[in-house]
Amino acid sequence: MPVDHKRINAPESAVPYKLFTKLNTESLKEQYQKAIRDGIRVDGRKPSEHRKIFLKTGIVAHAKGSAYIEQGNTKVVTSVFDPREIPNRTDYCLKGEIYCEFKFAPFSCPKRRLHQQDSQEKECSAIMKKALEAVVCREEFPNFQVDVYALVLHNDGSALSAAVTAAGVALASAGIPMFDIITSSTLAIQGEHSLFDPNFREELLSEIAIEKEHGVVILCVTSTHQQISHFHQTGNLQLNTITQSIDTLHNTCKEIVPVVQKCLVKSVLSVISES
Amino acid sequence: MEKQNLICLPGQRLSLCDKTHTSGKGTYDRRGYIYSNISGIVDVVIKDGIKILEVHSPGLQTIVPAQGDVVTAQISIITQQYCKCYIKCIGDKILRRHFKAILRREDIKATEKDKIDVYKSFKPGDIILARVLPITEAHNYQLSTAENELGVAVAYSEHGHPMIPISWTEMQCIKTYVKEPRKVAKLIPENIHEDLIARLSETTTKV
Amino acid sequence: MDEQFRILHPIKYYRDHINNHIRPDGRELNKFRPVLVNIGSINTSDGSALAKVGDTTVICGIKAELCSPKVESPDQGFLIPNVELPPLCSSKFKPGPPSEEAQVVTQLLADIVKNSKCFDLKQLCICHEKLVWCLFADLICISYDGSLMDACVIALMGALKSVQLPLVDYDPAIDNKLVNEEQKNFVNIQGIPICTTFSMFDKNILYDPTQEEENLSSCTFNVVLMEDKLCSVHKPGGTPISEQNLMECIEVSKQRTNTICELIDIALKKNKT
Repeated sequence: MPVDHKRINAPESAVPYKLFTKLNTESLKEQYQKAIRDGIRVDGRKPSEHRKIFLKTGIVAHAKGSAYIEQGNTKVVTSVFDPREIPNRTDYCLKGEIYCEFKFAPFSCPKRRLHQQDSQEKECSAIMKKALEAVVCREEFPNFQVDVYALVLHNDGSALSAAVTAAGVALASAGIPMFDIITSSTLAIQGEHSLFDPNFREELLSEIAIEKEHGVVILCVTSTHQQISHFHQTGNLQLNTITQSIDTLHNTCKEIVPVVQKCLVKSVLSVISES
Repeated sequence: MEKQNLICLPGQRLSLCDKTHTSGKGTYDRRGYIYSNISGIVDVVIKDGIKILEVHSPGLQTIVPAQGDVVTAQISIITQQYCKCYIKCIGDKILRRHFKAILRREDIKATEKDKIDVYKSFKPGDIILARVLPITEAHNYQLSTAENELGVAVAYSEHGHPMIPISWTEMQCIKTYVKEPRKVAKLIPENIHEDLIARLSETTTKV
Repeated sequence: MDEQFRILHPIKYYRDHINNHIRPDGRELNKFRPVLVNIGSINTSDGSALAKVGDTTVICGIKAELCSPKVESPDQGFLIPNVELPPLCSSKFKPGPPSEEAQVVTQLLADIVKNSKCFDLKQLCICHEKLVWCLFADLICISYDGSLMDACVIALMGALKSVQLPLVDYDPAIDNKLVNEEQKNFVNIQGIPICTTFSMFDKNILYDPTQEEENLSSCTFNVVLMEDKLCSVHKPGGTPISEQNLMECIEVSKQRTNTICELIDIALKKNKT
């Protein structure tokens, strides 16, 4: 491993202390049963219940637009900057580009994250880019790119969904022309249980094959035109489970829209009262 | 002009798109309806009996320079053939991020193009008014000052004092009375500034 | 026309304001921006704090890991602060490895912690020569608007104050570690260093400058104090300042130090209840 001269380095032998706590002897199945008991989850929610969302714009002072979202314990900051020239590009393109960077803060997950973007973060960046490309009027800024950054401060599940919703709010508050408002939601499936807006543990347990059917589904929907701008699924699911989950997720995404609208109207009103 | 304080959000359906309603700034039409593009206030402009729906963002708008815009720029580098500058404002809207632009020697004046010298027209640091030329393959914006109203608006002499225009081609320092050559813009007092912008943009639309 | 003037002639714009003893954001020259501290909002970390100085926001999360100590200091643990200035916080920064500014702030922060002796690394020792704690303190700037150092120091100290380490049973004979998460202890902090940033503009000193003020000023320096004791003064180049000015700044920082320490204490109490 090359030494990172631009940061202060830790001894390489450092290991998280969680590895040496009392071993959890329960099987995964038992753990999952604990996570959902009599149709009630650990945090007291019903399986179809979404966590409360708190949204705020104008968090980052010098960004064009920014938004902070709190979804249960999950906390994400997103910011959007003015269009700039696409670096290292010589040919002319009619449509502008969106550059997305999704990052987990080193302390946001149970396991410490490194400073460099890892493959999961790269994948999330790509998903965000695809989801947002569909809602931004890219022909309004040809030959330019708009930078969208998302930073997860605390990951307690559904971080990517929260980031997409917040990024949509940040883009709208930045005055970037958009076709629509975008909202996103996550569903974790394990056997016959489908948990909406899973927390970190539920998300983790659904990615492991305990029963035959398991997986995580993420859906991004535009509000007025009712279009799916992105769909992402991992795990092993039957076709009709997927179609069913799309329908139910679609409804959840709709439920988030008023929160987003309220937040945006608030930000417009505050700018009007300022000027 | 009819003014309403109606707030709308991106993707909000505003009205039918028909012979009497068309989409203007900040809106788009899709399948016979007009939708909002940005979050802001709805404005209806009536022109020739047609209602144009516009949405204005109350804060800073996200815009990029387009062909025909009158921009305010600051000269950064001059050479024999061209000068480089940064676009700082479009019309009266300020930009947070400054765009690079080039003003070529032959675009400085409309007449006597072969007699133009870049160094007799601009100095680094000058604030100029210029018009954006059609965007070519090149990555930079190209500007032109070949109009009476375009050229140097604010300049400082070698000693750092402000200068005032004394002719089309010269400016004089208010302290040292030194004269320096410039391509001077014919500036119009501020109160009719908006008219000027409106007029200039009208000529643009005709082009 | 105000905004246009500001962007075309920033220096003149500021000079006009400052000659009238007022700053563009409405503050007088010797006024600080409000400070906000929030401790312990991120429970995936072992200690965390958020500090806001005006529009500058820094969040610090500390994660504890186990490792073996250095041979030359067998009874000392590690405290590794790293400041990140992601492109998210300002258009000034680009994606990629840490910018020069981030490296400078990181090093400065590490020096402050080391020189002020506010944190004794010996308390991180679990077993001599064998096992120590390593605290990773990651500071991320969320919103950048000047006086970054002030916010970083507050965030780091706030986070350190909230760190709780579990008890570790270590058997050196068979190298067996058992972490008891039910029993957690706070770490000891000897004192809280507080940093205050100043800028020189012409002949005036601006307290707690914003990003724009830092850029336009001829020099920016910061004073770090810990409980009435001077702990570091960092003035990287720029125009010289008079002794009298410096003494004045130190005196002002002293008063500010006490208020901010109180703020941290209040935030800490709020977190515990």
